[in-house]
Amino acid sequence: MFSETAKKELEEIRLKYPNARAALLPALYLAQREFGWLSPEAYEAVSGILGVPKAIARGVGTFYAMYKHKPMGRNIVQLCTNVSCMILGAERLVDFLKNKYGLEPGGTSPDGRFSLVIMECIGACGTAPAMLVNDDFFENLTEKYIEEILEKYK
Amino acid sequence: MEKILLKNIDNPNSADIAEYMKAGGYQSLPKALGMQPKEIIEEVKKAGLRGRGGAGFPVAMKWTFASADPKFPKYLLCNADEGEPGTFKDRPILEKNPHLLIEGMAISGFALSAEYGYIYLRGEYPAAKDILNKAIAQAYEKGFLGDNVAGKGFKFHLAVHQGAGAYICGEETALIESLEGDKGQPRIKPPFPVNVGAFAKPTVVNNVETLSNLPYLIGIGGEAYAKIGSPDCPGPKIYCVSGHVEKPGVYELPMGTNLRDIIYTHCGGIKGGKKLKAVIPGGISTPILPPDKIDCAMDFVNMPKHGSMLGSGAVIVMDESVCLVKVCYRALKFFEHESCGKCTPCREGTGWLRKVLGRIENGQGMEGDIDLLQSIAGNMLGKTFCPLGDGAASVVQNFIKHFRPEFEAHIKNKACSTG
Amino acid sequence: MIKVTINGKEIELEKAVTVLEAAKSAGIKIPTLCWHQQLEKYGGCRLCLVEVEKMPRLQTACTLMVTDGMVVRTETEAIANVRRSVLEFLLINHPLDCPYCDKAGECELQDLVEKYGARAGRFTEEKRKVPESLEDPVLVRNMERCVVCTRCVRMCEGVQGAAALGVISRGGHSHIEPFSGGKFECEYCGNCVSVCPVGAIMSRLHRHSYRPWQLVSETETICPYCGVGCTLVAQVRDDVIKRVVPRIGTPVNNGLLCSRGRFGYEFVGSKERLTSPLIRKNGVLEESTWEEAISLVAKKLGEIKAKHGSDSIAGIASPRCTNEDNYVFQKFMRVTIGTNNIDSTARTGYAGAQAFIENIFGQGSTANLIPGLANSDVVLVAGGDPTAVNPILGLQIRACARRAGSILTIGHVKGLRHYSPVELRPALFRETLALEGIVSALRNKKGLPGSNQILEAKLKDINTTPQEAAGACGVAEKDFAVFVDRLSGAATPAIVIGKEIVQSSGGNYKLFLLAAINYLVNGRIYLLSERANEQGLLDMGCAPDLLPGYRPLAYAEFRKRYETAWKTAIPERPGLSIFGMIDAAKQGSLKAMYVMGENPVYNLPNSRDVEAALQKVDFLVVQDIFLTETAKLADVVLPALSWSEKSGTFTNMERRIQRVRKAVSREGMEDWRIIAEVARNMASKFHYTGAEEVFAEISKVSPLYRDLAYEEIEKGQSIYPYKGEPLRSTVEEISVDKGAGVVAASRFYLRLERPLFHSGTLSRKAAALVNIYSGALARLSTADAASLGVKDGDVVRVSTKIGSLELPVAVDGAVEQSVVMLTNNFEGKGAFCLAEYAVDPVTGAPVIDCNAVMIEKVER
Repeated sequence: MFSETAKKELEEIRLKYPNARAALLPALYLAQREFGWLSPEAYEAVSGILGVPKAIARGVGTFYAMYKHKPMGRNIVQLCTNVSCMILGAERLVDFLKNKYGLEPGGTSPDGRFSLVIMECIGACGTAPAMLVNDDFFENLTEKYIEEILEKYK
Repeated sequence: MEKILLKNIDNPNSADIAEYMKAGGYQSLPKALGMQPKEIIEEVKKAGLRGRGGAGFPVAMKWTFASADPKFPKYLLCNADEGEPGTFKDRPILEKNPHLLIEGMAISGFALSAEYGYIYLRGEYPAAKDILNKAIAQAYEKGFLGDNVAGKGFKFHLAVHQGAGAYICGEETALIESLEGDKGQPRIKPPFPVNVGAFAKPTVVNNVETLSNLPYLIGIGGEAYAKIGSPDCPGPKIYCVSGHVEKPGVYELPMGTNLRDIIYTHCGGIKGGKKLKAVIPGGISTPILPPDKIDCAMDFVNMPKHGSMLGSGAVIVMDESVCLVKVCYRALKFFEHESCGKCTPCREGTGWLRKVLGRIENGQGMEGDIDLLQSIAGNMLGKTFCPLGDGAASVVQNFIKHFRPEFEAHIKNKACSTG
Repeated sequence: MIKVTINGKEIELEKAVTVLEAAKSAGIKIPTLCWHQQLEKYGGCRLCLVEVEKMPRLQTACTLMVTDGMVVRTETEAIANVRRSVLEFLLINHPLDCPYCDKAGECELQDLVEKYGARAGRFTEEKRKVPESLEDPVLVRNMERCVVCTRCVRMCEGVQGAAALGVISRGGHSHIEPFSGGKFECEYCGNCVSVCPVGAIMSRLHRHSYRPWQLVSETETICPYCGVGCTLVAQVRDDVIKRVVPRIGTPVNNGLLCSRGRFGYEFVGSKERLTSPLIRKNGVLEESTWEEAISLVAKKLGEIKAKHGSDSIAGIASPRCTNEDNYVFQKFMRVTIGTNNIDSTARTGYAGAQAFIENIFGQGSTANLIPGLANSDVVLVAGGDPTAVNPILGLQIRACARRAGSILTIGHVKGLRHYSPVELRPALFRETLALEGIVSALRNKKGLPGSNQILEAKLKDINTTPQEAAGACGVAEKDFAVFVDRLSGAATPAIVIGKEIVQSSGGNYKLFLLAAINYLVNGRIYLLSERANEQGLLDMGCAPDLLPGYRPLAYAEFRKRYETAWKTAIPERPGLSIFGMIDAAKQGSLKAMYVMGENPVYNLPNSRDVEAALQKVDFLVVQDIFLTETAKLADVVLPALSWSEKSGTFTNMERRIQRVRKAVSREGMEDWRIIAEVARNMASKFHYTGAEEVFAEISKVSPLYRDLAYEEIEKGQSIYPYKGEPLRSTVEEISVDKGAGVVAASRFYLRLERPLFHSGTLSRKAAALVNIYSGALARLSTADAASLGVKDGDVVRVSTKIGSLELPVAVDGAVEQSVVMLTNNFEGKGAFCLAEYAVDPVTGAPVIDCNAVMIEKVER
């Protein structure tokens, strides 16, 4: 179920749009925050509030890469490997994350601390390679810098 | 050239409304509200402003269509779904100069008689979301948004709509679908968004950079604006340069700046003095250019004459260490990941191309694979629902066109010779 | 006039259509896959790409509208290449399991590849693998065959409105599945099956039991289930119905079916079908011959008639039987037996409600076209869920909402919940207040039209305030005002009335209030009808006070007409209603009953009481296709042919007469023929060679059906009022009996669930429907289940004054509080064995909403 705060937030979001359906994307973000990932229960909750049939909501949700459809680690490392990042060594960093933290692309570290998501371009090409940890940008990455960064995320 | 779009961004508080106003912001909006909407469109037409999202469509023409449609309310959507790989030109505006965009949207909204605006912001820009929301709140507070903008009786409401990771939403009808709470799959055209857009109402979708031109354009007038940059498509342009250059980053320069100058003059040349191997001039979907083809003016009109496109102005520079088969493979991985799945050639073709490229890259390429790639790409090109599939096909075709020997070597040697 | 040139051929068109349609009109075929005429344009498969002059890119013929002067080419080499390449792309991930696939032979992909090529694939990597899904009772999915044309999704969401299917993920990972990923848990309409071009979604009923080309015989007939009267096509192999499919272009259902229509046909071939007549000997039903059975029936009825008089015999007609069956049956009762004791289960709601409405608005006022609902700007629904009772009618309401119409409901209507309904949910027994409030508000807002003085005189004193009405529904006054405003602003409103209203206390008054609303907003009324020929049997005169063609028995001139036609006197005295018959049987004054195609022991409330009553009758004849609860009590059981084995007509709730046609053969007799045999044995001259001859007599004697013949019906001249004479158009006195009003005094009340998947007798013998919904449940609201401490699957004892049942609980968010919903569809577990009733003094319908219920958890 949605928390009361989330329900209230959703009501406010709903007012930004001419109909309830348009609030689906923000509602799914909220549900992801509330449930940790978009579980069947999360979809049912959104469907119940917005009146969007749950199969349709799930179709929409699974279309977008940033909605998660399995439980995630406490922190999500979103590393870009698209061309600008790739030619500046992003693949090496993928290996590093695997070797150092046991993080496979799309997987979660055994301690549940991190999940690794390989991203398409995140708009930090001039400062490549780059990643987002949760909502925070980190650029000009090196192995050493990644170590420092991840230290801050428990 | 003075900085127009990236003005003041080195000021750490540039996103604050007070700083923006101190630097002369929100002066064009009252001026615009004192004009007739038609007059604004006329100025935009005189300015020759073209959409900065990639297609370079004349802005005034789009606006005229939407404004002529009798249906209300009208919507103004800002395309901030900057997803073309290599592109990071809108992000500094969104994060450092949000009020420029907001002022531009209010002016544009007035010109279109639009009551509602949304900034469709890509999900990958969480920081920009907070900055924009804060800036919008400030603008409401100061009366630059709301039921009575700047006390001139104009109603304009603005909100941020966050995408959730889908490149295709940069296509304007897909963006509208996504705004309406659906999958970002492109719509059948016609009807065009200017007539039947968001919530079935007349809708204009413009890029962040495009809309951010409006305050300056209205400030100095269309004729004066038209004197900047290329006569064919005037104005300032943000070029974003990544890859193997000494000084990658965003460069606001006159439209039509020479590609070689951008790389060698503004960006300090190839990193570590290495040899240039290839340049993708306008984001990954635009045709790749070999080093001998980079003497071209970077604008919408000239680039096609040189076998490529301006696209988003995202210049990706690659030195001699780069394996282009691998880059091509990575690009197709991207297109496969981002294909929306609606049409057959793109849904099936991007994956097939990626698989064939993958086997070449992995040293398992077979004789005939290059022909197969070209055949698959040819079967996609011009047959897909939207330009995404064309982009994927043309990447393969152009990589092979300019760098065929590298592909052949991969197949023959069952390995990469570059490293 | 628009001129286009396609392949050098000039085509003139009245209006702009798509290039595809324009080409089709000129006999030029353009291949398609994602396109389907019932669905919204999609433009995804790219098979229909064509060249258009002055357009740089190839264009999809299915989406591009023609413009004057357009020049199109559809058969160039480039286009041939495109088609071949698109098919090659599609085959990348399509298994080549055609020898095993049931679709082979009617697979659109197979046909396209056969015609346009791509026979040698160049794709050498691994194909997508998806295991076959047999999780659903009636559907089988082989999604690795899916070509992602999304027809099923567009059908499910955009037409059926069930929205059970979605395209999950994107790009090459796009795949279609229901929410659960496995089981559909949907309305099981199977309309996705109809539109799937490949073997991805198919019916499980006939899996691997035929090849499409072996379905040599096809019969277009009418569905045996509800009153909507959908056309369906029975496809037969070896005299067995292999499948039932809809046909595009048929008037009511136009290419759509519901679960009952599509999957409910298996009762026809049920092993439980009666095969020979049964006669009770020494208390046991034993097989006998037709001669013995018929002469026994004739002899016994003759004796009883002679000894106790004609009125000691009564007949119950059947809303499942054809017009011809029912006509002959009522004629038999009136002519051979000499009584007007003829009625049917239409008395449980439809008959009385229709008579009531027609008395106000004139005969035929409920004969409104079902597809017209989609074009209404407002649809008000009261008294049930149309999407379950009359599913195809329900779809039209959903279509109305999709076309920006407003849906208003009295009570929560589960099947419309995704259509932004404006709901008023009156508290238990407070519906009347809500309706009165609407009437007052509309009258105050719009004034009285002045065209119906009698009605106006009755409604002018209704003065329920918006506060009271809103209070009765537990909503704010402004929400009540929204409801009223939508109604009052409607230009083409429709009011859909279900049995829940008719069978509630004060039902006739509520009907009056709905009629008043209809009058004030100038709307049209639709009465939901649960049986295929409920309307027809009334038209045929299977009513104690009406002769065929709705001619009241009370008028000598009408009696005279039929006396002349039938060459016999018709008793003037009206007969017993079905409930009157039960009472008379209990009292012992009714000595014999003849029940044709009906199961009163099950289908009437207080069913155990009905059973006791029928046991008291000296001689009970039951004519049916199964040994029903009623047949088990009979002295003689006569096996009849089922709907699919005979010819005739049904009249649907729009009063459209439609042809029922024989699809399979079976030994035996139609209901009318059995009756005629009995009549002949009783010295009546009933000589008909076939159903058509019966119909010829009907059209000769009934002024309503004047000059109609099968031929004309088939030509489509079957829409009310045909060529005949409707009876009245003036209003007589409107009698209304508000009743005493009920105050909720019990914690729970019994309510009837009328499920989508069942209709009583027939559906119980249709294996597929039983597999979908297999046993009786006690449905409780989430809050009540919580307060009772029960969850799904727990067993509760549901008791009323007259009985109790132990049933598993189903917690259902759509159920109102303080009620328990039971169905009357499962043997030995029928809701009606718990339901006492009183008869509504005006409509004659049973009132069943006052049954107080006790619910206790049964500990295991």
